[in-house]
Amino acid sequence: MNFLCLIGAERKKLRRTHIFLLLLLPVVFLWIPGIIHADINFDRRGIPITPEKNFFIQGFMGMAWFMIPASLVICTILLIQTERSQRGMLKMLSLPVNMAVLNLTKFTMLLCLLAVQMVLSVGAYYLSALAASKLQHYNLLLEPLYVIRTTAQIYAGAVPVAAVFWMLAVWIRTPVLSAGIGLISIVPSVLIIQSKFFYLFPASYPFYLLMVAYGKAAKGIFHTTVKWLPLLPATILITLAALALSCLRFGASDRKG
Amino acid sequence: MIVLLEAKKLRHTGYFPAFLGGTALAAAIPPIHMSVRSDTFTAQPGDPFRILTDANWQLMTMLNLFLVICCTCMMYYTEFADNGAQKMETLPVTESRLFCAKLLLFLSCIAVMLLLETIVLALCGKYWFADYEMRLSALLKTCGFSFAAALPTVILMLLFASVCKNMWVSLGIGVLFMFTCSMFPKDSLFFSLCPFNSPYLTFAELADAETQRRFLSACAAESVLFLAVKLLMIKLRRCFS
Repeated sequence: MNFLCLIGAERKKLRRTHIFLLLLLPVVFLWIPGIIHADINFDRRGIPITPEKNFFIQGFMGMAWFMIPASLVICTILLIQTERSQRGMLKMLSLPVNMAVLNLTKFTMLLCLLAVQMVLSVGAYYLSALAASKLQHYNLLLEPLYVIRTTAQIYAGAVPVAAVFWMLAVWIRTPVLSAGIGLISIVPSVLIIQSKFFYLFPASYPFYLLMVAYGKAAKGIFHTTVKWLPLLPATILITLAALALSCLRFGASDRKG
Repeated sequence: MIVLLEAKKLRHTGYFPAFLGGTALAAAIPPIHMSVRSDTFTAQPGDPFRILTDANWQLMTMLNLFLVICCTCMMYYTEFADNGAQKMETLPVTESRLFCAKLLLFLSCIAVMLLLETIVLALCGKYWFADYEMRLSALLKTCGFSFAAALPTVILMLLFASVCKNMWVSLGIGVLFMFTCSMFPKDSLFFSLCPFNSPYLTFAELADAETQRRFLSACAAESVLFLAVKLLMIKLRRCFS
């Protein structure tokens, strides 16, 4: 079975898992307070930022800091559990499927689910910005290019953390530990992005990239440029290492019987 | 007896190591925080214990809540994996008793967790603040208050875990609730009464005895309500399955 065929099979497995609802609801809940409290965007408190950018960045903050890692944890649990229940992995082992390819397929599905959530959140942003504009009589909409570019950056920043969470889920068989480590890693990222060694902690990348966008929009809040030099090599290295490690171990415990 | 049986089920799931690890992590926050920025805190006027909880309790509660979400999901995961719940139905154990046993076990773990965290906070006070005198009654009061404040959240989360057969659904609902509740305005008492928000409150933050009494009775009412919902759902289970 080739990669595309496996992707199709994985998509079928996800059909009745309610995962899309679980991805949609946080996106909706995220923007409701944004619409209700849209007037605070005009109160700049000395920060030189336009209200429309303030609305976008404040709204995405909860997303980049909390919801992206949390959604990734939930999706990894889902993708792992679809095989673990009813001895699914044993059945997969009896098929002509390369375990490393299956592992990478599942990781691709993880990235697809996150992409769906990002698309949903961009859609939700435009709807809520439209509603808030009507309420406040001020155009809060940003040009699509800026929104899509920032969202794509956050999404790209989430790839290493997805790889790390996936590796944890493959290596640690008890879901409470792998999910726990994933969720707990959300907590310190606010502190870590301000330190010099933020690039060693993948869970903070999406939030770091959003904060750089904030720094660009409002001078003096945060760095205005991404420190690509330690970040980019670290990102690639962490992603590749995590993927290699997960390929090594995927299905290993079922193979022993 | 049935509580011991539940503990046995959880022995190989990583539940107890996760609990201990999570507690250790949350309890490590005040010493780390103090050792890095001790001057800022020791210079502040007021009750040392209050200063410590104000500085650390938010972060500690966040960790505790994640632990609650993961561990409650795990408790019912052992039932739903490999149709364990179906096998339990053939045994002379009612579903409500099972729920209560799990709740009792979980609450005792939570009590140990909160006790340890309070002790660590008190020890930090003793170590870094010269004028802090440790009073056992005050510590027990704080700990008891935190336990009562956590009660609705714990029961609600266990309720979610018992209803959803798939772990990611209950985990997702838990995380979603935590995320949504964290966006409510923090300054009003009404919003801080919501489950997933009430554990953030500390005993010292509530001004007078009247507010404390009101807060505690609201927590008790919420807990009773969630328990009643669970028992009702068991009675009406044909509608849900």
